[in-house]
Amino acid sequence: MEFLEFIPQQEKDIDLERIHRLRKTMQNRRASICSERARLITESFRRTEGEDYILRKAEAFAYILEHMTIYIQKDSLIFGNQASCNFAAPIFPEYSIDWVINELDEFDQRSGDIFQISAQVKQELREIAVYWHGNTHEDEVMKNTTTYILQAEKQGILHRGGISMSGDGHIVPDYALILQKGLRWFLNEAKMKLSDKSLTKENKSFYKAVIISLEGALHFIKRYSALAYKLAEIETDITRKQELLVIGKMCEALMEQPVQNFYEGCETCYLVHILQMIESNGHSFCYGRFDQYMYNLYERDIQKGTITKEKALEIITHLFLMNSSNNKVRPYGHTKFSQGYPLYSNLMISGYKPDCSDGTNELSYLCIEAMNLTKMAEPNFSMRYNKNTPRSLVRLAAKLIRTGCGMPSMFNDEVIIKSLENLGIPSKDARDYCAIGCVEIGIPGKYGHRSTGMTYVNWGKLLEIMLYNGVDPDSGIQMLQINGKQGSSINYNNYDEVWKAWEKVLRFYSDIAVDCDRICDNSLAFYDSDPFASCFVDNCMKLGKTLKNGGAKYDVISQSNIGPIIVGNALAVIKKLIFDDKKITWNQLLSAIKENWTGKEAMHIHKLVKQVPKFGNDEDYVDNIVKDVFNSYLKLLPDYKTNRYGKGPEISCYTMSTSNITSYVPNGFAVGATPDGRTARSPLNEGCSPTQGTDKNGPTAVINSVAKLPNEKIAAGQLLNMRFSPGTLAGNENLDKFIDFLEASVLKGIFHNQFNVVGTKTLLDAKKYPENYTDLIVRVAGYCAQFVSLMPETQDAIIARTENNW
Amino acid sequence: MEEKGIISTIQRYSIKDGPGIRSTVFMSGCNLRCKWCSNPELLDMSPKYMYFENRCVRCGSCVDTAVNNSISLSSNGCIIDREMCTNLDECMEICPKEAFEKIGMEITADDLVKKLLRDKVFYSQSGGGTTFSGGEPALQARFVIEAAQKLRQYGINTALDTAGAVKWDILSDIINHMDVVLYDIKTYKTKNHIAFTGIDNGIILENAQRIAKLKKDMIVRLIIVPGFNDSWEDLISRVNFVKTLGSSVKRIDFIQYHTLGVGKYKRLGMKYQITKIKKLDTKLIEKVMKIAADTGIKVTLQ
Ligand code: SF4
Ligand code: SF4
Repeated sequence: MEFLEFIPQQEKDIDLERIHRLRKTMQNRRASICSERARLITESFRRTEGEDYILRKAEAFAYILEHMTIYIQKDSLIFGNQASCNFAAPIFPEYSIDWVINELDEFDQRSGDIFQISAQVKQELREIAVYWHGNTHEDEVMKNTTTYILQAEKQGILHRGGISMSGDGHIVPDYALILQKGLRWFLNEAKMKLSDKSLTKENKSFYKAVIISLEGALHFIKRYSALAYKLAEIETDITRKQELLVIGKMCEALMEQPVQNFYEGCETCYLVHILQMIESNGHSFCYGRFDQYMYNLYERDIQKGTITKEKALEIITHLFLMNSSNNKVRPYGHTKFSQGYPLYSNLMISGYKPDCSDGTNELSYLCIEAMNLTKMAEPNFSMRYNKNTPRSLVRLAAKLIRTGCGMPSMFNDEVIIKSLENLGIPSKDARDYCAIGCVEIGIPGKYGHRSTGMTYVNWGKLLEIMLYNGVDPDSGIQMLQINGKQGSSINYNNYDEVWKAWEKVLRFYSDIAVDCDRICDNSLAFYDSDPFASCFVDNCMKLGKTLKNGGAKYDVISQSNIGPIIVGNALAVIKKLIFDDKKITWNQLLSAIKENWTGKEAMHIHKLVKQVPKFGNDEDYVDNIVKDVFNSYLKLLPDYKTNRYGKGPEISCYTMSTSNITSYVPNGFAVGATPDGRTARSPLNEGCSPTQGTDKNGPTAVINSVAKLPNEKIAAGQLLNMRFSPGTLAGNENLDKFIDFLEASVLKGIFHNQFNVVGTKTLLDAKKYPENYTDLIVRVAGYCAQFVSLMPETQDAIIARTENNW
Repeated sequence: MEEKGIISTIQRYSIKDGPGIRSTVFMSGCNLRCKWCSNPELLDMSPKYMYFENRCVRCGSCVDTAVNNSISLSSNGCIIDREMCTNLDECMEICPKEAFEKIGMEITADDLVKKLLRDKVFYSQSGGGTTFSGGEPALQARFVIEAAQKLRQYGINTALDTAGAVKWDILSDIINHMDVVLYDIKTYKTKNHIAFTGIDNGIILENAQRIAKLKKDMIVRLIIVPGFNDSWEDLISRVNFVKTLGSSVKRIDFIQYHTLGVGKYKRLGMKYQITKIKKLDTKLIEKVMKIAADTGIKVTLQ
């Protein structure tokens, strides 16, 4: 079964064998480091000393595009390359260089996210490093970093991740406008703007930089034309030769004019995508609402008879696969926070149109089929849905989810649109939102840079230091004294005092985190000058400013807060056992925690702790406390301003997000046992999902709990991850019930949901480590049950059945 | 009167106990004793204690607590003399590792309904609701009726999962408050029925016909246990009987025997009665299913 539902009529128009080959190529690709970009930018920068930084960046961009190696991927209809070979990561020395040099000999020795690196590349990087050392974004950030921030980092509370040493990314260009106008149009606009006498210096440099960048990009595209013709000459396969000739012809005028057809449209999206990733090394450059802005072209071609559905599907499939050819290298320390070479290139389908009608179209279906054929980690595939989404589309999505690839990730229009309107964004724009990266939300072509994941704040650690009057038990550092006294001892007389302490700790460190955002943002405004990416986002062209300088129409950012559920569960334990029921004392709890729940007394307390309701079971007692925890942070936000407040954006504010990629694992390493019963150094909870192993009442209870949170205020993304066994989705009847479950979740008011449909391997692991899998629901005979609650024999039986294509 | 019932658990997101997404209420007490029963904890209404050997860390606390020296420690965990141990509650309390679990709790119909209502959106979206199962839910008729009445006031679909061996006036009373009846027919010949389940099935077959006459929607469940009721005659006579019930029957579920309940026996200190099990003749089942589907009834294999 190649397709989920699609039945090809024109089989010759979709070459499945070739798709398999291309997919194999991508699956077997090996990451490497490419020094080409680093060398070229250095050459260019050496020649532009003294000029405006943004112009230097633009000139370097054009210079790189002119001189970098280009190739056309074998077997692919979609072309364009970010580095000199497949899956090579370019180096961006302008953002940071020291770690690159320090880790040169370790790239190919890592235990995960390994990069091959040749001696020559190492040599080249060492040579250019001298030029950059001390003059990078990272250096600028370090220069301005306060001791407060450094201390909080030492405590394991703050983590700056990408923003302190790389570009910001998180951009969804206005693809609709790009397709409709072509790059030349943007270039001409910039020229026209330049003739305005009243421009500031900043404006002038911006428009000039846009012109340089776009000329560079247009020239780059033409290089592919020449290359394609050359390749066509020596190509022996007739079909491929023909394809190369088409590419050659296409690239003669691509983006000099509006896009001519669907194929050109897809190609343009891909080129703009990689061009952004050559300009800057941020991640999460996203496709936005692909099925929406591509539909006109598709419909026109179909009506004219110049394309078939099958061909369109083939092109989309190639586009998806080519996303696996791009790469980004991060310092090893950051890699733990984002494992698996992620680029977070989100591509979204369906959802309301700005006029509130449902936007589902044929391409929405084709994209799901394409994802089914490709099933690679990129693009990160997501779907919007709402009360009016056709059930047939939800069904197709459910079928893809059922294959176990974890996609699409499902976003609830009904809640998300409200969350954006709550920020003051007009409904028309709010309805046009898309996912950026993982679960962050933004308005395509109107948002500037990352809506989430500025500074990462470890709430698990906040909770821990709250137990010790502000002292971090690991580093011994005390930055605040909850009771006004030095040292770790503190006595709480009632829950109210505990709650106040939480608020105090949260405020203290959130303030520092905002400071940290500001410092990174300040530096990025300079070093991440990105005229190419900026010119496709409103209102940069109108205002003559880059995104980071206030060019974006909406400037909504957030930090990433990790572990809110741990905090809520812990507070519930403290409230119930110590103050409500008076079953244990504060000191008893503390010593049990110190012993990591081992020893007779501690074990007994652990049992009591485990019996206190946990979030994710539809228990109001604890769910309300978790809600309080969310609200305690939301309350702080109106006081926080971004650097761009009052400097251009129509809306500029902070919001909240629980999107935390894999950081909940390393953040957990930094935290000892916590009052919720979590053992020392184990992961924190993921997003707003229940802590691993504590939701025991099935998926509806999880939804009910999550629905109680202030989801309509978490406008930068509220992540929920659930796990189902393949058996619960097997067959039409179960699938139908799963679809009902999805639709009911929309009505319930959750923000987002994604699913792991696990197979035998995981089940075996679950059997071995049951404590990690209590949320795993499996079908047992006539009913569903929690997998780990079953006897080993039963588990074996179910494992065997799953293998039988149940 | 505020009725109280004894239940073990509420299983949410139940997808095999009737239409849509359901919550299944497992009720204690049963008047049959099927040899293959996979719910031994539900056979009678008294509370049951399960002992999870894999959670036990052999700390010995329960040994000291148990009266009459009724618990001793071995390398395989605790050996519990269930007759002598009259204070398992205390043992459970003292155990640091939750190695004991108590099954069976009293709940009022009101509280039960409140819990069930929490998934109302899921029920209404999917055409699902609540299924009373067990054990034999019909043994707690007044409780079930009160809960079902309340649920229906909220527009929630109700189902009864019964073996049918209950006096008609009681059963019919319950069924009046149900939208669907899941009805088990375990074997056809009376002699076998007595041997396998401990009771005569005359009343079961009669009640099935009466329910059908009421034109109530039925899902008939035919369990197949190799070596017991998997012969061609048994299966075909059950299928033929179901056909006589007419259009009331919306679906026939063939349910394959499974050993999923075996572990529970060990945890409860009970003996599982089936020691050896033959393999199921899948060809035979397919044939029977085909015949069952003849009349256009939906047939499933679980
Ligand atoms: S008290 Fe619990 S852990 Fe200790 S021996 Fe008894 S059952 Fe095992
Ligand atoms: S009717 Fe059901 S609960 Fe009762 S003994 Fe038989 S299988 Fe067990």
